Amino acid sequence: MTEASSGQAADREFETRVDDPRGDRTRAWELFLRESPEDPLRHAGSVSAPTAEIAREQAAQLFGWTAGTVWLCPADEARRFAADGVALSDRADSTDPADQPEADRNGGAES
Amino acid sequence: MISVSKLLCDLGAEGDGLRYDAADESEKAQIRERKQRRPVVVWNCTKQCNLYCQHCYAAAETEPAPGEMTTAEGKRFLDDLANYGAPVVLFSGGEPLARSDLVELVAHASEAGLRPVLSTNGTLLTAERAADLREAGLQYVGISVDGMPERNDAFRGAEGAFDRALEGIEASQAAGLKTGLRYTITEANADDLEDVVALLADRGVDRFCFYHLDYGGRGADIQDVDLTPADRRDAVRRVCEMTREYHDRGHEIETLLVGNYADAAYLVEYARRELGPEQAEQVLSYLETNGGDPTGERVADVDYQGNVHLTQFWQGYALGNVRDRPFGAIWEDESNPLLSALREREEHLRGRCGDCRYQSVCRGASRLRALATGSDPFGPDPQCYLTPEERGVDGADRPATPAD
Repeated sequence: MTEASSGQAADREFETRVDDPRGDRTRAWELFLRESPEDPLRHAGSVSAPTAEIAREQAAQLFGWTAGTVWLCPADEARRFAADGVALSDRADSTDPADQPEADRNGGAES
Repeated sequence: MISVSKLLCDLGAEGDGLRYDAADESEKAQIRERKQRRPVVVWNCTKQCNLYCQHCYAAAETEPAPGEMTTAEGKRFLDDLANYGAPVVLFSGGEPLARSDLVELVAHASEAGLRPVLSTNGTLLTAERAADLREAGLQYVGISVDGMPERNDAFRGAEGAFDRALEGIEASQAAGLKTGLRYTITEANADDLEDVVALLADRGVDRFCFYHLDYGGRGADIQDVDLTPADRRDAVRRVCEMTREYHDRGHEIETLLVGNYADAAYLVEYARRELGPEQAEQVLSYLETNGGDPTGERVADVDYQGNVHLTQFWQGYALGNVRDRPFGAIWEDESNPLLSALREREEHLRGRCGDCRYQSVCRGASRLRALATGSDPFGPDPQCYLTPEERGVDGADRPATPAD
């Protein structure tokens, strides 16, 4: 699935990666809802669940009171691209020294 | 967060401006009123922790988790929060001191205009790091201790955790940081409550936050050690009594109850019995201004990967991710029907929460507990311990006799 973060400009390049690992080690499922048949399908966050069936149960508990339709998509199968160039995760791969902690990340837990 | 000491003993404590709009009454520095409309943001800046606590809502692990925000990402996120007008960022975890860049992030938050505070198990808080955090602008340190040594260490999964937490408290105090206790009350440690306060009060700790167990993360797996309604009522009564006893002796400790807004109703009833109708009305007025359970409104959570949650305990559902969209855009997007409904939850609450006369100060307490036990985000909170008379569902104007 491809989702643009903004519909502001059709000619922008969707090149900013925002698909770093999501959620817990438990699989995350992006959740889409339609409240009534004439409504658009809307993104409504994500749930963490080990299986699609458990994700469906969680979605039903959270949104069953209002949603007529629920779609679930494994977050790790979603491909997300932002058009505005400011999505944070793109900088996770940056080689800018300012992006790196001053010391090894494991050191703090042992002090 | 309900300040028992403020409501029962009229203590003007720093932070009350945020919780009660009481800025005009307190002599101490307050957070500006303009910013109170924005949520306090808990940032679980890492999932890594050196302990393995039974009740950890973040289900923290001893090893680093993938996808954690980098230093630069964290700084941009903090700028994002500051631009949105969040008044406070609470660095939490996991164990936030497991991040070696914590001082750098705290300094950045402070420079951006946020009020940085820290929630920690205290065991990694050395004198040097405490001094560095103070220098960076940290305003408050809350250190978790869940009982006297034996019970705390069993709960926290590490022998010696109690002693190391005490060393952390001493380091924090020595650095000049305001330091408080965080204590999650369960059947396993309720008996230690007064002893822990006495021990720490003697060491100069003057702020004590008592948390009710919420059913998120590993907390959901230990519901069997949660307090019964009768024991919960007794524990809250003991917090009230203890607070008044300390104040009567001239030791003005600050005590707070967190995570179950049935406590708000209980405090009104307690004040009516013990302090008279006039103070009870004042307590009620303060609590109505406070607004009850803050989930999805006055408190927000962002996890180590940038997922935005309705509260720090509700990690299983995310509204969105700050790597996709600015925090403010996610938080303001009421096209999400759950977020929208939580902000007008009085129209949705069912069961005993639906007809309670204390809805204005409780607002159904924990929606996560309702979901965890009844599969309904608008069902009753199983931790409610109010009597039918107190809830006003039998036609009685006031409880005929004190229930405790």
